[in-house]
Amino acid sequence: MDEKGRTLAQSVWTRMDRKAGAITELTIRQLRHRVSTWVVLSVGALVMALLLAFYIDGIRDEFEPIDNDGDSEDWDNDGYPRGQEDKYGTSDWDGDAYPGSGYYVRTGEIDWNDDDRIHSGNQTWDGSGFLESEWIDVDYTGNRWSGIVDWSQVDTCPEGDATEDWWIDWGSACVYDDGSYFVSGKFKASGTVNVPRNSYMEWGIFTVEEYVEPEPASMYIDEDGIDWNGIDVNDIGVEIDDDGDCLAIQNDDNGNGIPCDVIWILDADGDEIIEIRADYNVNEDPAESEFEGEMVHRTFIIGTGKMAFVMMLGIFIPLFLALGLIRDETENETLHYLLSKPIHRAEFILYRLLGYLLLTGTYILVLVLIMAFITSLIAPGDSIVRLSDYPVWLGVGFATILVLAAYGALYNTIGLIAPKYGVYFCIILGIWEFIMGLFTMTLPSATVPMLSVSHWALQLIDAIVLIAWPDTLQYSQIADAFNLESGLQFFWQPPVHTLETQSPVVALLVSSTVLIMITLLMMAIGQSSFKNREIM
Amino acid sequence: MSEKTPAVVVDQASKWYDQVIGLNDVSLAIDGGVTGVLGPNGAGKSTLFKLLMGRLKPSQGSIRLFGEDPWVNPAPYRRIGYVSESERMYDWMTALDFVSTLARLHGMTREEAIDRAEHVLEFVGLSDVQNKELGKYSKGMRQRVKIAHALVHDPDLIILDEPLHGCDPIARTSIMSVIRELGSQGKTVLVSSHILEEIERITEQIVILNEGRLLALGNLHAIRGLLDKHPHRILLTCEDPRKLARKFIAEDPVYGVRFPNEGQLEIQTNDLSAAHKILPRVISDSGVSVEAIDNPDDNLEALLGYLIGRTS
Repeated sequence: MDEKGRTLAQSVWTRMDRKAGAITELTIRQLRHRVSTWVVLSVGALVMALLLAFYIDGIRDEFEPIDNDGDSEDWDNDGYPRGQEDKYGTSDWDGDAYPGSGYYVRTGEIDWNDDDRIHSGNQTWDGSGFLESEWIDVDYTGNRWSGIVDWSQVDTCPEGDATEDWWIDWGSACVYDDGSYFVSGKFKASGTVNVPRNSYMEWGIFTVEEYVEPEPASMYIDEDGIDWNGIDVNDIGVEIDDDGDCLAIQNDDNGNGIPCDVIWILDADGDEIIEIRADYNVNEDPAESEFEGEMVHRTFIIGTGKMAFVMMLGIFIPLFLALGLIRDETENETLHYLLSKPIHRAEFILYRLLGYLLLTGTYILVLVLIMAFITSLIAPGDSIVRLSDYPVWLGVGFATILVLAAYGALYNTIGLIAPKYGVYFCIILGIWEFIMGLFTMTLPSATVPMLSVSHWALQLIDAIVLIAWPDTLQYSQIADAFNLESGLQFFWQPPVHTLETQSPVVALLVSSTVLIMITLLMMAIGQSSFKNREIM
Repeated sequence: MSEKTPAVVVDQASKWYDQVIGLNDVSLAIDGGVTGVLGPNGAGKSTLFKLLMGRLKPSQGSIRLFGEDPWVNPAPYRRIGYVSESERMYDWMTALDFVSTLARLHGMTREEAIDRAEHVLEFVGLSDVQNKELGKYSKGMRQRVKIAHALVHDPDLIILDEPLHGCDPIARTSIMSVIRELGSQGKTVLVSSHILEEIERITEQIVILNEGRLLALGNLHAIRGLLDKHPHRILLTCEDPRKLARKFIAEDPVYGVRFPNEGQLEIQTNDLSAAHKILPRVISDSGVSVEAIDNPDDNLEALLGYLIGRTS
């Protein structure tokens, strides 16, 4: 016992609040005095600012209606949008075929082996033969047809028999001395046609053209929306093909015997849509403000949370700030000031990590709240501030802080075990974590990515998203079913680690527990290594 | 634990680094007063201190501080202040900041720590510059800040590794008086040096290490006494060495004289104390003016040479 009446046993692992406070404060102040800290944290803030700029730009774009199925375009420039042409059965690739335009109707033909090979009349002709004409429409351009006879360049027919001794090009004619022609191609004329044995000719008439009012392109934007309000799954009615482009061809892709309908499949509780089977061309062009705006907004938050916070900041901050927590003290020969105190070395690592985590955690929290505040102001929706986003952003912050803890403990341990080459290990590890993160996003149930920290953090975000916005599943399914362009399916999939309960809360607990376990394990390895380390 | 447990007990401790022996079978127990740990560079002083500070694990034997093994348990450090030989510090901190921050690692509150830090900085004479950044401090001032940091929790054992190394004479004097003061307060102080003269001005109780071995432990005067019976030289710088030599050669303790350089006289004796006793009388009788008196053998090397010669 010393003169203060305390036994020595009372000096280690005691007054932890004070010692932890002192080391934590020292750690933060040390980090604050390093340029690299400021560089890393500024880069993080800069990235977030850039992302916000893209977001603002993106959200503004998305509010302008988008023609998801492309039928508002007038590809052949005939003044009618494709949607209207589809309705009238005319092609949008042929400027001369449009709603109300006249069309060719075949009335007769002379085939290769017909006996009677002469026909007279005022017709539109198509084929090869001798023509004695009463009238020729020399201006006939044949509209959409090719092979129209060019009457402006008619040569004298050569000697010999036509079709045996000579032949003329398709789309041309030659004239005999008596004023009759040999014609090959399409033309409009009144007269008698004599078709040689080995040739073919057909004829018909053009219907009378009638004027059809062109519809505005805007009619074919957002013209086939989702009739369900997206809120109450018990309220899903019958989806109809508003623009009739499915009804025109009677698609039944989901094979339920009802053309142009949508089958909504709910989960066991009946409160979430887990699959949507839609017939082709039904609900293919919903209004952006209803679904896409929301989808882009959610995609941005999830994407930023996963890519920028977890995979970028989560991996890089510890590389710069945690690797040297103990190692730098050894290199700077200042470690002895800290270790010549009644503090266990294991205690010391714990406090050191706490200091690092306090600084980086505060930074992440501030950054997350700034992002949440700005996006919730700009985001789609009726309310001025979208409070429902905050749990997701805070979840992103929580996941990132757990990642910072896990990597911090891991990198600090590596820095301890391999002071010289630790940084290279950490870089390789960072790349591994990044790749495993990408795999986790695309193949969440694959086994190998489970060997990474990022996998569990991304799963954690997936779980939080589903808790805060349960209808994200619906949005994802809607995007999938109606071919809406959205990154949602890339950035978000339902969490997999639910222990077969399908509950996102379970997934959240599992992921958090795994991350905390990794942190504790890594810290314990570091502590045990440090405890047995001789310090020269 | 009884209160009589000595502050430091080293029991047959050895430490080797691969093939190199840092400390070889050293046993000692120290409690109370200032003890100088003497030895040339590489003698094992730092190894001994690192073993005491739990930075190294003894290869053999045991180390006990207040009865505890510091490698296993850092608890004794609550009663220990340590000044390392390393000159590195957190240069961006002020002295007050540095001392009070480290004080908090003893479990003090912020207020207690600042209070104590101001107190010890005053004790080492730095209170007027305590708010200056350490990076702007001179070497001697930094050394004193390190000492202050080691004293802030009022330890019972203070270990100082080469505290005078690189200091200017004023800083030296100030540090020495601080150490003497600590000793007079009844603390156990271990202070290492490779310069005998430094230690001599602080303490009489010494431990001599050489090549990892403990050569001697005890009172410096007693050890010196042994040395006195050994051939010894006194170097006098004077105007007329030959005149003075004639006077000395007649004296009993003197058995030989030499003139190593112009204006210098070397007296050879077997009894240093006796020689020093007759010195003033002989000089004043001779009427020769003497500029300087030197004991070229009165240094650590000579002492070591003598001790090694005896033990080998």
